[in-house]
Amino acid sequence: MSAPWKYEKDRVFIKRLIVLLLVFFLLIIVLITRVFYLQILQGDRYRLLADKNRTSVRLTLPSRGNIFDRNGVKLAENKKNFQAVLIKEEALNVQKSLENFEKIIVLDEDEKARIQKEIKRKRPYMAIRIKDGLSFEEAAKLHLNAPDLTGIQIEEDLIRHYPLKDVNAHLIGYVSLMNDKDLEENPDDPLADLPGYRIGRTGLENSFEEVLKGIPGFKKKEVNAYGRSVRVLEEAVSQKGESLNLTIDSRLQEVALTALGKESGSAIVMDVNTGEILAMVSSPSYDTNIFTMPVPVKVWRSLIDNEKRPLQNKALTGTYSPGSIFKLVVALAGLEHKIIHPNKKVYCGGKVTIGNHDFHCWKRSGHGMVDLEQALMHSCDVYFYELAQQIGAEKITNMAKRLGFGVPVNIGIKGEREGLVPTPEWKKKRFKDDWRTGDTVNLSIGQGFLGTTPMQLVYMTAQIANGGKKIKPHVIKGEGVDTPASLGFKKEHLNLIKRGMNKVVNHEKGTAYRSRINVNGEKMAGKTASTQVRRITKKEREKGIIKQEDLPWKYRDHGMFAAFAPVQNPRFAIVVMIEHGGGGSSSAAPVAAKILTETLKLYPKNN
Amino acid sequence: MPFFKDRNCYLKNYNLSLTDKIKGFNYKLLFLVCLAVFISIGTLYSAANGEWHRWADKQFIRFLLSLGALVFASMINLRLWMKYAYVIYGGSFLLLIGVMVFGHVGMGAQRWLNLGFMNLQPSELMKIALVLALARYFHGTTLSEIRSIRGIIPPVLMMVCPVALILEQPDLGTGLMLVFCSAAIFFLVGVQIWKFALVGLAGVVSVPILWTFLHDYQKKRVLTFLNPENDPLGSGYHIMQSKITLGSGGLFGKGFIQSTQSRLEFIPEKQTDFIFTLIAEEFGFLGATALILLFFIIILYCFYVGMISNNYFGKILATGLGINFALYVFINIGMVTGLLPVVGVPLPLVSYGGTAMLTLFFGFGLVQSVYINKEMVIGRNGSIDDE
Repeated sequence: MSAPWKYEKDRVFIKRLIVLLLVFFLLIIVLITRVFYLQILQGDRYRLLADKNRTSVRLTLPSRGNIFDRNGVKLAENKKNFQAVLIKEEALNVQKSLENFEKIIVLDEDEKARIQKEIKRKRPYMAIRIKDGLSFEEAAKLHLNAPDLTGIQIEEDLIRHYPLKDVNAHLIGYVSLMNDKDLEENPDDPLADLPGYRIGRTGLENSFEEVLKGIPGFKKKEVNAYGRSVRVLEEAVSQKGESLNLTIDSRLQEVALTALGKESGSAIVMDVNTGEILAMVSSPSYDTNIFTMPVPVKVWRSLIDNEKRPLQNKALTGTYSPGSIFKLVVALAGLEHKIIHPNKKVYCGGKVTIGNHDFHCWKRSGHGMVDLEQALMHSCDVYFYELAQQIGAEKITNMAKRLGFGVPVNIGIKGEREGLVPTPEWKKKRFKDDWRTGDTVNLSIGQGFLGTTPMQLVYMTAQIANGGKKIKPHVIKGEGVDTPASLGFKKEHLNLIKRGMNKVVNHEKGTAYRSRINVNGEKMAGKTASTQVRRITKKEREKGIIKQEDLPWKYRDHGMFAAFAPVQNPRFAIVVMIEHGGGGSSSAAPVAAKILTETLKLYPKNN
Repeated sequence: MPFFKDRNCYLKNYNLSLTDKIKGFNYKLLFLVCLAVFISIGTLYSAANGEWHRWADKQFIRFLLSLGALVFASMINLRLWMKYAYVIYGGSFLLLIGVMVFGHVGMGAQRWLNLGFMNLQPSELMKIALVLALARYFHGTTLSEIRSIRGIIPPVLMMVCPVALILEQPDLGTGLMLVFCSAAIFFLVGVQIWKFALVGLAGVVSVPILWTFLHDYQKKRVLTFLNPENDPLGSGYHIMQSKITLGSGGLFGKGFIQSTQSRLEFIPEKQTDFIFTLIAEEFGFLGATALILLFFIIILYCFYVGMISNNYFGKILATGLGINFALYVFINIGMVTGLLPVVGVPLPLVSYGGTAMLTLFFGFGLVQSVYINKEMVIGRNGSIDDE
């Protein structure tokens, strides 16, 4: 019945169907293999990715550790802060809510721009900070108008507060909000995106950031593909940062800052036996509380443009020629190397000529025959010019390094400068020039290349005052050394220098005689320094030197005074530095006298 | 030469009674198909996080409707299907044109025709209509005709015209499926291998030209397929998340309604095209493999029906529909496992969606019809007289 065409057609069909079946079978094997590869061979990897997908850890801000002074006075604490935040997805109309908000609280243009930027950047369920530091009244007003402010919520959090405002500005430093640069630099910091997260920028707030900031708490939540949380899986509360207890006495801080007045300068008070720093101020100061909120441009500019540089901590980062205070170092080097004999006298005729260059004493008529004590008392330059040549630069610089110059004192605050102790090798490298006798002569009166910070100067003064004990200066309580090692100086040499320093203040011909003090019989001893910030030309010298008061502020000499008190059994060392203050005896010594008087009153003997 | 139990099979008016038809029904195939749907309903229940009224209940109603369509298709005389094969094809083609004119734009593509009570996707209908038309055509041709150029032109046109319209919608997935399905049928009926090679070569050469005709989103999908990690938050996101979902299932899976990836909406089309990942996540490698094997057995059944059919129309119809079903499986699973680009092909019988299930069941109804009438002999033009 069937035609032949049919059989052939069926035969081809069956043959090809079998081939197709094989192909399909192979494809099925491919699929199963692929699923095997993904689920079994790569299963662990994908399981991990799935877990990463589904969980999100949201951190909660810890509150920052407090900072106390030595008497338990709070220098930095946390204060309640009301802030308005916007959650996009909860607003009926984001822009309308913002408009209504502005009817109640004014926002400046910068803030508005930032808010608009964050509205674009952040996910709809994330909080956007609108305004920080709202008063209770403002917060209440916003609450009343809540129906018009959909999506805007008042959040209560803690904000850094410095009760003493400008008194400890440079010491404590400040915290501020993350800026765009921080976000770029720390793309992985999970706290960075939280509104209200502030980090320490300067001073102790910056140096002890890790200690103060505490441990953030977290909420581990299950989130869906859009990042919305579904449920909380795990939770831990945040832990407050550790407190810092300082060696600082905030009363002395206030005294020191007041004593410095409008001058640009710094003052440091140190306990010579323990290395505790009781006061460290830099002037002019500023109220650190302004930085916890975004700083208005005008305020920022006024700080930046001020020629007295209020933002700089001059006690740690100001580098100056130590001037005549360095004579203490030269004297000690001379004594230790037996080049200076206490009774040996040197003739000062007002100047010394080395090569074809005249080196003048500050007193043009000269001091006549002077021994070491007198040379210190009068701050005679010629005495040191002569002796320095005999001692040589190397012994002087070695002594300087032994006393702590050329390296940071390292009291625990970041950014301290190391200053500079020049050596022949250094000069060769820096200027491609040989060390000359003139350099040694300049070095002998603390001028020239030498650079020191007020902290290094007070450190040296304290170590001379305490009889050559190597103390560790510090601001955090308990960081000192219990039994300081000896620096290895002969007591009699130190006593000789101390006697010289005593005469500077308490001898009627001493350079700081007018600033002498007497607190229940306790007196101070010290050394003045006036360092030039410009060169006095020969021509000018002949014409007659211009009086300091007649020079523009920035050309006036720096005035410095290093001292200790009491003269017998010293307890405190102080350095006062006044930029362009004129002379050390007229500008710095009176300030130091005021501060030391208060110090001795606050810490009387046998207490 | 098959042995015929029913001597009446040669009669022009060979007609089985309703009882015969019900007796002749292949219940094993029906069971396997229904099993796949039950898996679907269970999975949709899980996809909705243990919720009946989101997808599962609707899918169940569609299943009942589709079951009706299956019974209807299987009860109709195979001769009648052959008689109206071209009519059905023509009707589907007109609907495709209709969708171009009145179609509903969904997901950026014009695919649906809103009939009031349901959205009709004519391209789905075309998958069956084209197989019917090709079966009818090749039933009437001799092998030499098939192997001649003249004889192959009409079926190629039957394929190309609807494919052109479907690509225009644009629906790359369905278009490709029609091309592959037709190509497989051409292969089965005996078109020479060198012709495939020639067309393949021409295809490769014209890829750069075709590329310019692709829509931007299609280009992007192909590029993303080639390197999904390149753009994990853009179009590579689907593929990456799809692989994560699958891979995280491991050997035994996370358990029923224990999926994390799908529940947390990392898989955007978890109830439709990406439903395989959900099954693989919850039931692991064992579950996924079992499902793939179930599909393979269904394919085998279709081929078996084709093989034992006594008429060429039935052979091509059953195997063609089996091939169509297989293509769904290969493309969908290949796509969600990252072997193929994401072209929008659902997992047959399992993905949520009305038209696909309805047409698939209709197709299985036709396969049943072939099975019931397996002993029927049909002449070149539909009768036994003109041989």
